[in-house]
Amino acid sequence: MSKADPFLGPQDVRNLAAYADLPLAPGREEAILPVLRAWLTDANALSRKMSAAEHWNLTPAITFIHPSIEEGEG
Amino acid sequence: MSGTQGELASLTLAEAARRVKAREVSPVELVDASLERIAAVNDRLAAFIRVLDPEARQVAKAAEMMVMAGHDLGPLHGVPIGVKDNVAVRGFPTTAGSRILADWVPEQDATVARRLRQAGAVFVGKLNMHEFAWGGTSDNPHYGTVRNPWNTERFPAGSSGGSGAAVAARACYGAIGTDTGGSIRLPSALNGIVGIRPTYGRVSNHGIIPLAWSMDTAGPMTRTVEDCALMFGAIAGHDPKDAGTARVSVPDYSAGLGLGIKGLRVGIIPGYFFHHLQPAVLEAVKAALDTMVACGAQLVEVDIEHVHGNISAQLTIEAAEPSTYHQRWLRERPDDYGADVRSLLEIGELLLATHYLQAQRYRSLLRNQFMDAFLRVDLFVCPTLPFTATRIGEMKVIIQDGVEEDMLSAIMQFTGVPSLTGLPSLNIPCGFDPDGLPIGMQLIGRPFDESTLFRAGAAYQAATDFHLREPDL
Repeated sequence: MSKADPFLGPQDVRNLAAYADLPLAPGREEAILPVLRAWLTDANALSRKMSAAEHWNLTPAITFIHPSIEEGEG
Repeated sequence: MSGTQGELASLTLAEAARRVKAREVSPVELVDASLERIAAVNDRLAAFIRVLDPEARQVAKAAEMMVMAGHDLGPLHGVPIGVKDNVAVRGFPTTAGSRILADWVPEQDATVARRLRQAGAVFVGKLNMHEFAWGGTSDNPHYGTVRNPWNTERFPAGSSGGSGAAVAARACYGAIGTDTGGSIRLPSALNGIVGIRPTYGRVSNHGIIPLAWSMDTAGPMTRTVEDCALMFGAIAGHDPKDAGTARVSVPDYSAGLGLGIKGLRVGIIPGYFFHHLQPAVLEAVKAALDTMVACGAQLVEVDIEHVHGNISAQLTIEAAEPSTYHQRWLRERPDDYGADVRSLLEIGELLLATHYLQAQRYRSLLRNQFMDAFLRVDLFVCPTLPFTATRIGEMKVIIQDGVEEDMLSAIMQFTGVPSLTGLPSLNIPCGFDPDGLPIGMQLIGRPFDESTLFRAGAAYQAATDFHLREPDL
């Protein structure tokens, strides 16, 4: 799907915002739609790339950190 | 600038510190010079949100007495430093360039601020920035638009735009900035100064208003590599108050500055960093590589298969994390944000968790590829960004062929790589465009190997003079 395809419209933005419990002021959906559309298109493309079999074993860069236990620490 | 104070303001940080220790100049004189310079230029640059006068003078007087009593506070004793206004300095408002935090007065220093004080630094002011660090222009609707000292009709980049402009304008001897997607390196490049984004976990983020927790760093912005290494040594190291900091020993970053770069393997990635640039940027960085080769370095061409597409990952993470942090304010005080930041925060709320996690998986992929490449190279060199300073207020930029590109994604397309991989990255001035605007290059190193970046940067600065030039203000 190319960046020019209008797969996302103002009502979609309103719905998404409602799912996120984000009260958007009137007109805000038009303000953010062009950038959101472009970013979602690219994010979906990245998701497809990262779903490829060659990347099966990759874990996210963020992991839970256990504080190190060194001698003398409780 | 007036004679003697002008001469003092033009000293490097390292030279100023040396003269204080040698009792050749007083901290009082340095702070006087700095405050005079700020008074002379800040109306035109809007680099400072708050000038700490008379507090800085009081601290300088005490620092002078300490020196005369034979007491050395540390490597930055008596040196005037600016602090980006998202870094807590106890007793003074820390606004993060925002209306929302306009009245927040921290009771404790951020760790980097505390360590700078312990090293003897004198804070002369809190520096202007892009609101909440979420942007790359430093066009701040609440505290004024920061302007580039090399041409005040041009922007200084951001988000540490005030830090970059202040150091370039000789209003302070060094500054602390923060860098998530490029916010130290971009203003360093466009203001013709040195700035380092450290290895993620090398410097504490405690007491710094976050933008994106998994990518935020803090680091020095200075006129020379020597200055940068000196300041960096004062702030680096594990902090029990920041669980993200690493228990890795801190070397003497100044020790290797004169070692040269004979035999150093310098990686270049022609397929990504060198094919979509303004001509002057390409020429300057190519010339810089020639200089490095003349100094004994070897160039190694490297292909990083998955570097393309890093911008989407960068934007997804850098949108989702701040939107999480700002959730309450965005609902309670949406009109108190500037228009651009409000839009970005709203957008960040509407990305999916799977988008975010796939972007985090991409980081692992990209980092793995760079770590493999570091078996063959010691550092990478590339432009910091593909263009020079545009006119203030422009949200589109033309890089090649008359095609307009969105400013945010265009400006981060090279700086995003170290941000995603957690690698250290040092910006060094490497030339000027035909309009006299600075050009910068990035040196990207192995984790916790800032020493090699400083060593290479110092060798380059020994062979060039771009870092010695000053804007005509």
